Amino acid sequence: MKLELGNFHVEDIEFGEETAFNDGLLTINKEEALEVVYKDEHITEADLKIVKPGDMVRLVPVKEAIEPRYRVDGGPVFPGVTGDLMQAGDGRTLAMKDMSVLVVGKHWGGFQDGLIDMGGEGAKYTYFSQLKNVVLVADTDEEFEKHEQQKKNRALRWAGMRLSEYLGETLKDQEPDEVETYSLDPITKRSKEVNELPSVAIVMQPQSQMEEPGYNDLNYGWDTNNMLPTFMHPNEVLDGAMISGSFMPCSSKWATYDLQNFPLIRRLYEEHGETINFLGVIMSNLNVAMDQKERSIQFVAQMAKSLGVDAALVTEEGYGNPDADYIGCLVALEDVGVKTVGVSNEATGRDGGSQPLVSLDPKADALVSTGNVSELIELPPMPEVIGELESLARDGLSGGWEDDEVLGSSVKEDGSIIMENNSMFCGDQIAGWSPKTMKEF
Amino acid sequence: MPKAIVYLNQFFGQIGGEDVADHEPEIRDEKVGAAMLYDQLLDGEVSHTIICGDNFVGSNEEEAIDRILGFLEDKEFDIFFAGPAFQAGRYGNACGSIGKAVKKEYDVPVISSMNIENPGVEMFKKDIYIFPGGQSAAKMKEDVTKMVEFGNKILNDEKLLPAEEEGYYKRGIRHQYFLPDETPAYERAVDMLLKKINDEEFTSELPIPELDTVDIADPVANLSEATVALVTSGGIVPVENPDQIQSASATRWGKYYIEDVNRLKNRRSEAFKTIHAGYDPAAADTDPNRVVPVDAMRKYEREGKIGNLYKYFYSTVGTGTSQNEAARMGEEIAQELQEDGVQAVILTST
Repeated sequence: MKLELGNFHVEDIEFGEETAFNDGLLTINKEEALEVVYKDEHITEADLKIVKPGDMVRLVPVKEAIEPRYRVDGGPVFPGVTGDLMQAGDGRTLAMKDMSVLVVGKHWGGFQDGLIDMGGEGAKYTYFSQLKNVVLVADTDEEFEKHEQQKKNRALRWAGMRLSEYLGETLKDQEPDEVETYSLDPITKRSKEVNELPSVAIVMQPQSQMEEPGYNDLNYGWDTNNMLPTFMHPNEVLDGAMISGSFMPCSSKWATYDLQNFPLIRRLYEEHGETINFLGVIMSNLNVAMDQKERSIQFVAQMAKSLGVDAALVTEEGYGNPDADYIGCLVALEDVGVKTVGVSNEATGRDGGSQPLVSLDPKADALVSTGNVSELIELPPMPEVIGELESLARDGLSGGWEDDEVLGSSVKEDGSIIMENNSMFCGDQIAGWSPKTMKEF
Repeated sequence: MPKAIVYLNQFFGQIGGEDVADHEPEIRDEKVGAAMLYDQLLDGEVSHTIICGDNFVGSNEEEAIDRILGFLEDKEFDIFFAGPAFQAGRYGNACGSIGKAVKKEYDVPVISSMNIENPGVEMFKKDIYIFPGGQSAAKMKEDVTKMVEFGNKILNDEKLLPAEEEGYYKRGIRHQYFLPDETPAYERAVDMLLKKINDEEFTSELPIPELDTVDIADPVANLSEATVALVTSGGIVPVENPDQIQSASATRWGKYYIEDVNRLKNRRSEAFKTIHAGYDPAAADTDPNRVVPVDAMRKYEREGKIGNLYKYFYSTVGTGTSQNEAARMGEEIAQELQEDGVQAVILTST
């Protein structure tokens, strides 16, 4: 499989007459773009904004981030989700770099939603403050979940994907600034030199904890709760096979943007043929029942052994209950002779004194930590808020609260906030960007 | 100017040697012995010196702490130093136990210094800052300097670095930290993997701590006569959530009266629901007995399998709840149950 990602660096974004991309400038006809958003009758109100790094703007509740792309030979950017099922990861896809489409609730948030500060001291807590962003801020008529803490955010997330495909289409027939080529020979058909290098796989554990459809990450449109671990080509992940879900405290999530760019995969690709023989992705999941966990772990270990994996990265999208899958998987791989490194965040509590993961094992002896979900963060007011600031306190965001004996509400009258890192939008950057670690204090 | 109080034993407080080791605690509004060195180095002033014999603390620990906390009641101070205790075990214990009590009661930074061989290190490094120190008083100046330099950073509101950089013994307190060179996790992970593959040395960012496991309790002697309580971390509460238990990262628990209840009614009947944000609430809202099995317990009661079901069930939320908070809530609930003669608990999760 050979994937060519044609990158276009977006230097600026503005609203204008015609939606077009020219020489680094993305111009958006707002009215036309909103028509694309309104194609779903469940969208009741929508607006577009443009925010850039350093802008003194706070976004909340943020639900999703997507990289606008265009598939050159036709077909949906997200096969099985925004269009028919087709093979992802083989062919040419054009991508708008240095920007994302952010989806923000106009009013209502939930457990899984997050916050982004584009400027000021809060900017360092998310990856997306470093990007130029087209912000879709919208409301829906999904009354059944308006006051629910767990939201599927279906209409908003799908509107975000439509909008990103609409923007991506402006790249059609244009020559990219650069082309990244991702190609791996079939595993049994590799050169002697490559075969003699240590064989490495990455085990991904996407979020799949919800039994009811509509919340979990999707694999080609298929609910990851309903799958058994499966072997995937890394190109599939980089090319839209996986989309993010709508469950899990936000700092622990992988946005769709994260999946499209998965830095751990890209880094393994760089080593391929040099220091390692990169075999591919073992895509697992994070179901809640013990037998489901054990079954998935058993499949992962078996698959790694059958493929001849010598070493593996393991990474989980979540914390708490999923730590059992994460540690269990690391231990099972070590037990079949696979050397492992894990990548995840920790939950040591606001005082830093709690056990970092729900499950621990001395065999998990090589771990990378990307943040503490319950770290308390205080931030001053922002001149502009996109969305609704009150949602942080009111709607049960995982890092916000309405009232606390000592700390009061997460949202103060002057617009300043106090929150747990839990609600920083994809803040622990478990996909690999995190500049954070955990240290003893 | 910030004020400091220094704790010394009878020897460094210039009372005398082993023969006066049972010297009773006293406080002086002057700088005695080593306190003068602290005063010279500190960005502030040592206002008082507390002196107590090591044996006095050893044999009357509670009284010593009470009396010393009493001395401090009307004093204004911003920081507390104890020791250095070098390799002296009794002195280390005194610095640790008194420092811990002062930290708890007055919430000021407490800094000590002990040699790695001093048993006080293991006993108290979680409670107060303890710097590695020399074996004997020959290292007095060096040890006090380390303590005061760190104290000055706190008093001057400077950014504190991780334990390994500041130099004090690690305390098992972990916080997130932005790496100064911003090396992203993907670089750190692949570097670590390559080192592990090549059998080179690597450093895990999360060393697995010693596990705090609880022994399984002895069986209940006579279950058919026992009072059994239901306790859940599954977040089942009356629909109005009267105790305002949080949906995640809980710090509160509640107890709900079920003396005459045969089975818990559900959310639709406006009786019980779950507020737990970490699992799909549909099944628990439809039938809360599946998380708090009152119905099954009543059946056992009728069959004589258990004596009776306790008149309250206890509830909190387990998702994102830190281990320390969980342990505190567990202790509080266990104490109530024990006082009320409950012999066994069924703990249900989600």
